[in-house]
Amino acid sequence: MNYGAADTVVAWIVSLFSGFLLPILLIGTIRKVKARLQNRVGPPIFQALFDLVKLFRKKQTVSSTVSWIFKWNGAINLSVMLLLALSVPWLCYKPVSLGADLFFVLYLLALSRFSTVLAAMDAGSAFGAFGASREVTISTLVEPALVLALASIGILTQSSDLDAIFSFSNAALSNTSGIWLLVGTAVILAGLVELSRMPVDDPTTHLELTMVHEAMILECSGPNLAMLECSQLLRMAILFGLSAQCFLHSIPCVWTMTIVSQGIIHVILMFVIASCVATFESVAVKLQWRKVPEFIAYCLTMSLIAGLIAVGGSLVK
Amino acid sequence: MIALALLSIDTPMAWQGPGFLAVGPWSFTFVIDRLSALFLALLGTVGIASALFSPRYLRHLDSRMNSSLYWAAYCLFVLSMMLVFVSGDGVTFLVFWELMALSSTVLVSSEHTLHRVQRATIIYLGATRTSTAFIAFGFIWLYSMFHSWRFSDWCFDRPESYGAALLLMIGFCIKAGIWPFHIWLPYAHPAAPTPVSALMSGVMIKTAVYGVVRILLLGNLNCAAIGYLAVTLGVVSAFWGVLFALVQNDLKRLLAYSSVENVGLIFTCIGIAILSRSVGVPEVAALGLAAGLFHCLSHGFFKTLLFFGAGSIDVAAHTIELGQLGGLVRQMPWTMSCFVLGAVGICALPPLNGFPGKWLLYQSLFRNVWLSSSLIDRGLCLAIICILAVVGGLALACFAKAVAVIFLGVPRSKQSGAASEGSSGMVCAQVFLAIGCVALGLTVPQILLLVKPVCDLAVHTNSHIESAFTVDLRVTAIALIVLVLALSKLVLSGSQVRISRTWDCGFGPLGPRTQVTSDSFAQPVARIFRPILRYKLEFELTGTDRRHFPEKIRVKPNMVSLLEQRVYLPLLSIVSKLAKSLVKLQAGSIHLYLIYLCVTLILLLQLGTLL
Repeated sequence: MNYGAADTVVAWIVSLFSGFLLPILLIGTIRKVKARLQNRVGPPIFQALFDLVKLFRKKQTVSSTVSWIFKWNGAINLSVMLLLALSVPWLCYKPVSLGADLFFVLYLLALSRFSTVLAAMDAGSAFGAFGASREVTISTLVEPALVLALASIGILTQSSDLDAIFSFSNAALSNTSGIWLLVGTAVILAGLVELSRMPVDDPTTHLELTMVHEAMILECSGPNLAMLECSQLLRMAILFGLSAQCFLHSIPCVWTMTIVSQGIIHVILMFVIASCVATFESVAVKLQWRKVPEFIAYCLTMSLIAGLIAVGGSLVK
Repeated sequence: MIALALLSIDTPMAWQGPGFLAVGPWSFTFVIDRLSALFLALLGTVGIASALFSPRYLRHLDSRMNSSLYWAAYCLFVLSMMLVFVSGDGVTFLVFWELMALSSTVLVSSEHTLHRVQRATIIYLGATRTSTAFIAFGFIWLYSMFHSWRFSDWCFDRPESYGAALLLMIGFCIKAGIWPFHIWLPYAHPAAPTPVSALMSGVMIKTAVYGVVRILLLGNLNCAAIGYLAVTLGVVSAFWGVLFALVQNDLKRLLAYSSVENVGLIFTCIGIAILSRSVGVPEVAALGLAAGLFHCLSHGFFKTLLFFGAGSIDVAAHTIELGQLGGLVRQMPWTMSCFVLGAVGICALPPLNGFPGKWLLYQSLFRNVWLSSSLIDRGLCLAIICILAVVGGLALACFAKAVAVIFLGVPRSKQSGAASEGSSGMVCAQVFLAIGCVALGLTVPQILLLVKPVCDLAVHTNSHIESAFTVDLRVTAIALIVLVLALSKLVLSGSQVRISRTWDCGFGPLGPRTQVTSDSFAQPVARIFRPILRYKLEFELTGTDRRHFPEKIRVKPNMVSLLEQRVYLPLLSIVSKLAKSLVKLQAGSIHLYLIYLCVTLILLLQLGTLL
């Protein structure tokens, strides 16, 4: 993507603006849709922003047993997510190109997970440790699905760079809706697991024993918690954005459109995904812990099919 | 000790001297080229660090071992490894290979009064004997084929030589601890003194990798089947190793199993290189080889660092049982920081040195998916990518568990509460290696430039390997550090902090026993993979109203090592039965022995006339 100077400024403004606003709007949409489906009015759509501002202003309460890992965890997580938000093409327009190799992106995600898992066990609380233990189990299972899904479209574009994969440059892929849809679905299913949403984990639960992500950040408070919440929102926006990119690429007529209209359709798709997730969360129940691997198996199967299509498809060409 | 340090410093100087160094008419031939120089640099670094670490650690074991014997064997061990890396022909290689095996056996048996050490020594000796037997047999076969002992004269591009190549491959697999020959590692590493385990895991098992690269890969091995074998065994060991590492409770055993994983990854890289060169995809072959060599270096660094962490903990807390440790971050901040860096490295997280090797391996597999012409290869590579992702996840789980259970939370025993940071030598050794890990991660293009001649030699063209690593870890590292500092300055500096106790649901203060143990952390993963681990959880509730108000709850995880129970024990019993039947020959009667002598003599005479 080549921009002139004025375009670059516009792109920076648009992407900074959307990078800041989209995550909050997405979570707001999910909460609002869920509330409407349950016949509640629901919180205002910007509630997440108000919560964050409140948290940033609050005092921190820290356990006496924690070490530097816990204290730095929020900053580390948010930094990794900011770096990812800058490099991953989760929006159609991106002002800087830092290079977003898909294996690198996945290992950066793992870095933030490593830090969170350690911080969860830092206070010596059994809740945090159980959450951490579950988190590493789930991520072990969901990692191959995510790698396989992204790698299978990488194989078709013959590049592991996400920028190249989502650049609309390879016209031969414009009529392969099937694989894009499969990968998009696999990414969104993997995203539900990675983001600790229903049906794997309930982000609104009140019982420490059943929580995964919430249990890990049980000891965090104030600005530290706010940074973790921010990074979780960014992570959600990035994963939804990637999935929306896949769905966007599956529509053949989009390939010939201008970048502005592509961007608009892409953002609309992200909100559609958020609403679908909200609907799914309202009708689905949280799975029993032992059933979670079965749910991930669906995701893995989808990635496997996509992978097989990619292997076969690249052979035909 | 000074001599040893000098020796270790001397070794990296081999950088400048690629060339021939022939001593004697035929016997001892030494060759130093870029490949040996790379491994010598690894040996030098690990050797210096071990020498720094050893003195204080040995004082901890003083009553149980003979330290002059230890030093003699140690020097011999380092020297023989150095000479293995520079050997230019089969006989020289075997001589120093043997010396290396025997001196390391002496080192493993340092505390020979303990029963578990005796057992470990026997197992290690058995493994290393078998390995040498395979390799020696392969060498003799090659000599009969090429009438030369020199590595440079051996060429594996014809099908006749594949048999010998297979023998060598098996021999090296045993030495490297590749599945299913890995069982000696989890016995030998915990039994040996820490500096020795570090050297064995960091460098000695790499001699096998060196052997494979030097003899088979640079000998133009052209057999896809051996490539498949190496890849399959490598992937299985990577998965098997990390899975067993996750459920271990002894830190050194955990590290030993993790060595199985990493050496498996290295063999996968080398296997991919052999495979894709034989089917004509040199680009992937160069990537695979570079991945393997880079991972050798980085594994040498962070595994040694982690072993030193274990050693320091052993000295400070007198135990490396995960169930007895906890909260060491306050008493041992240096050890903890170095251990965390090592763990980040071994989990292949950017920007440290574990990531580039893993990335290059992923890239070689990924590119093979569209560059390879056979559908089976493509599917295989995609499947391996998938398995490696699981292995990565499990490694993260394993080392997150190790770090958290050892260093975080509150101490689980009195010894662990009374521990304190070790001597400056031990800390220096760890900091030195930690800096090495960081430096290796930030200088990947430079390292690849060093690896390039080897890759070029292996694929016979310009491999362009120096530009293969497209991720800029330096920018990532700087960006991360700047962001973290800026965020914590902006957000955390202004906020007030209230110190309180850990959330206990209002039931009163938590104790060390309420923390999660190593077993309970690993349980969810162990449950999923229970068919492989043979994992069983045994419950026992006692008391009058057992269901709601048990008086005593006992939970015990139970695992059986399938390979040892089902394969090696029956094999051993067959061997011992055969040996018992041989005993009948030795009846103690002098007449019988005279008959044996006579028969042998006649047979030899007969043989003499025939030849």
